[in-house]
Amino acid sequence: MSPVLLDVNGLTTRFATRAGSLHAVEDVSFTVAEGEIIGLVGESGSGKSVTGFSILGLIDPPGRIVAGSVKLNGRELVGLSHAALRSMRGREIAMVFQDPSATLNPVLTIETQMRLAIAAHENLGDAAARARCIEVLGAVGIPDAARRIEAYPHQFSGGMRQRVAIAIALLNRPKLIICDEPTTALDVSIQAQILTEMKSLAARLLVMYAGRLIEAGPIAEVLRQPRHPYTRGLLGSLPGIARPGQDLVQIPGAMPSLIDLPQGCAFQPRCGFADALCATMPALNGEGARSFRCHHPLAAESAP
Amino acid sequence: MLGFIIQRVLQACLVMLVISALVFTGVYAVGNPIDVLISPDATQLIREQTIRAYGLDQPLWKQYLDFLGRLARGDFGRSFVYNMPVLDLIFSRLPATLELTLAAVLGATALGVPLGMYAGYRPDSPVSKAIMAISILGFSVPTFWIGLVLIFTFAVSLGWLPAGNRGDTAALFGIQWSFLTWNGLMHLFLPALNLSLFKFALMVRLARAGTREVMLTDTVKFARAAGLSEGTILLRHVLRLIAIPIVTVFGLEFGSTLAVAVATETIFSWPGVGKLIIDSISTLDRPVMVAYLMLVAFFFIMINLSVDVAYAALDPRLRTRRAA
Repeated sequence: MSPVLLDVNGLTTRFATRAGSLHAVEDVSFTVAEGEIIGLVGESGSGKSVTGFSILGLIDPPGRIVAGSVKLNGRELVGLSHAALRSMRGREIAMVFQDPSATLNPVLTIETQMRLAIAAHENLGDAAARARCIEVLGAVGIPDAARRIEAYPHQFSGGMRQRVAIAIALLNRPKLIICDEPTTALDVSIQAQILTEMKSLAARLLVMYAGRLIEAGPIAEVLRQPRHPYTRGLLGSLPGIARPGQDLVQIPGAMPSLIDLPQGCAFQPRCGFADALCATMPALNGEGARSFRCHHPLAAESAP
Repeated sequence: MLGFIIQRVLQACLVMLVISALVFTGVYAVGNPIDVLISPDATQLIREQTIRAYGLDQPLWKQYLDFLGRLARGDFGRSFVYNMPVLDLIFSRLPATLELTLAAVLGATALGVPLGMYAGYRPDSPVSKAIMAISILGFSVPTFWIGLVLIFTFAVSLGWLPAGNRGDTAALFGIQWSFLTWNGLMHLFLPALNLSLFKFALMVRLARAGTREVMLTDTVKFARAAGLSEGTILLRHVLRLIAIPIVTVFGLEFGSTLAVAVATETIFSWPGVGKLIIDSISTLDRPVMVAYLMLVAFFFIMINLSVDVAYAALDPRLRTRRAA
């Protein structure tokens, strides 16, 4: 096992709103080993993006990390000064966002934007900086990078634009890259391309619901044998499972408001197995490499 | 780009023709200048001679065509009052207004944009609130009143700065400018400050609104995630993204101030074109009014053209569309 690169422990991020405290991320813990790829899944509003931004220290007021720790190579990031966080961002942890047409600056050339990212961390000469940009652009599959580097974002297609954004994230050779749904804004064929090149298959999968981790484990096991009813519901609603002509299956109900979460398990109002016990918050119980947060886990079927 | 400019110049010629017709008819309707031209006790004979000499007995269309004919030869006519060529008269006054306007608009932009950006970046800080309070003052207090207060405070009570006139001038490109001498600069300061307050308020508001909007975008968040410092983000990303409305307003303000800085020029006895046009309206000095209004139209066309060229320089997306 490679050494632990990122250790997130009890991370809790809340947003103060007029209606009350919004619990975006509650008590999330996980680790990422060097070279490991993990996937974080969950529906919109389950806290995936906020988890990513919390790790980078990019939570803007009224949001705040209220508890927990984020350690990168053993160094605590929560509570670090702005300057220290800034010099860490991009160089040690980088992030790719959902929509490249919103993240890239439309009025600056690709080269300018890449050079700014390099200059934030390193004082390279003109020629060296340009060479690094071209090299990284080539590495993410931009053809004719030496010429295209002078183009503006609108002169690239959506998929190419996301490659540029990924190139910017890679520029300073970070140890960890957080990809926040990097293919959401792209069309399906481009999604497939980008995911393939990002070695889409994560080794480990974390499932989030209403700000909490509710299930984690090796990806094949979680997909084949979900233990949490929510995970099974998610898998059951995949379009690939539906028969043509029939409505897609969906989990009944909607995710509760993060300001007014139900007592205990947040999934209980939508869960077929819920009973009185579910009014208390289940702990994240481990079973070997698997863990899940449920009082009534689905049976671990006998191995086939 | 060249095609675009040629197209705009042709357009400008057409606009100038329409403006000349409008201005000429409008000024004709304002009143008969003959009463100003001769003394009230002149004989009927002299009166009729004068009318004929200036062509005032001709029908309007004939007068207009004559005017266009002279215009084509570069002759805007002579001022009734000053009895000198109108263009010479206007150009003797124009540098004063030009430097006053430039000082006011450039000063307002150079100060208003950074302060506005700061107010947009830190909307809740006390400094930002102070900046916004000043900008409300700049909007709501009338220019002439501020002018009087400035004169009273800095010229009369404190005696730091002169109250009026251009002061010493020095020549550059054969034109006299105040800003080239220390004494002239001192004279320029108060009227420029007076003129710039409103523009300053405008720039602060624009920059603040733009910055607040841009700071929330993913562009800024992505730049932060790449480790860019806040200063770099504001200077390299945000400033470029908010530049277009600022350039637009800069052009509009520059044009309109050049045309009518009347209140300030009057209060500070600044010998610019604003005072000239007000005088010529009250004396019905037709040629000056016509030439001046056409000149103003010409300035606006040129300013708009420069603003359009600046757009293309600032936003690459406009460049491609135009080329296509």
